[in-house]
Amino acid sequence: MSVMTDVADAIVAELNAATLSQPVNAVRSYLPQYKLTEMQTLHVTVVPKGIVLANPDRSRSQADYSFDVAVQKKFSTGSNEELDVLTDLVQDIVSFLRNKRLDSFPNAVWMKTELPLLYAPDHMDQLRQFTSVLTLTYRVIQ
Amino acid sequence: MGDLLDKGSAWLESQRTLHMTRDVTYARGIITAVVKATIGRTEYETDDGQVVRTEFTDRDFLISVADLILNGTATLPEEGDQIREVQGSSVLIFEVMGWRYSDPYRRTFRLETKHVGTENL
Repeated sequence: MSVMTDVADAIVAELNAATLSQPVNAVRSYLPQYKLTEMQTLHVTVVPKGIVLANPDRSRSQADYSFDVAVQKKFSTGSNEELDVLTDLVQDIVSFLRNKRLDSFPNAVWMKTELPLLYAPDHMDQLRQFTSVLTLTYRVIQ
Repeated sequence: MGDLLDKGSAWLESQRTLHMTRDVTYARGIITAVVKATIGRTEYETDDGQVVRTEFTDRDFLISVADLILNGTATLPEEGDQIREVQGSSVLIFEVMGWRYSDPYRRTFRLETKHVGTENL
């Protein structure tokens, strides 16, 4: 297995073992594509995204691996109370993974989490679905 | 002489309701009403999300304004309302995502819905 998929699987394992504001069943996927009819239940998907290579010194190589984590659920009323629960989960995931060493891949060091947009407005408007995508970056030095 | 187009539109609407509809259940929470609906545009689509994609079926329903009565009160559609359509041994559940009047005389609603679930009868 590649480092990319190993780290992605380690993130999945961490999320599934974590005590968050609600239990999640995260999965790894290359091209997450779900039917709207399946979205009544919460979906958390880890998607390998990309690698940035660099040389920290003459003898070692450094690779920054990035992953998207999508949190999705169809909502019914769209009230603040209903959506706040999903926002809380996203915040929980952000906080949980911050500075966390991955148990099954401890060589990967958390570097940053980016969430430039809390949710996708087009999904909110056109599908009445909450979709939030955060990007994690882990550094591996070999 | 009156508005001939208005009268023509009313006649067409009555013919649509008589000959081009099927019974569906309109639901807002636990309040339901059986109404006659014409099935409009139905398309299978995929949104173009860059990381995650969602497949869905769009379907438009035409419902007479006069028929949409919930709890004894004439009402306007709301996002999140559901239309339940029996097909064979299944009930297809469509959720209202938006709506507009379908004619200039405001006799017919065009409800823009998406398929959100299926139940067995």
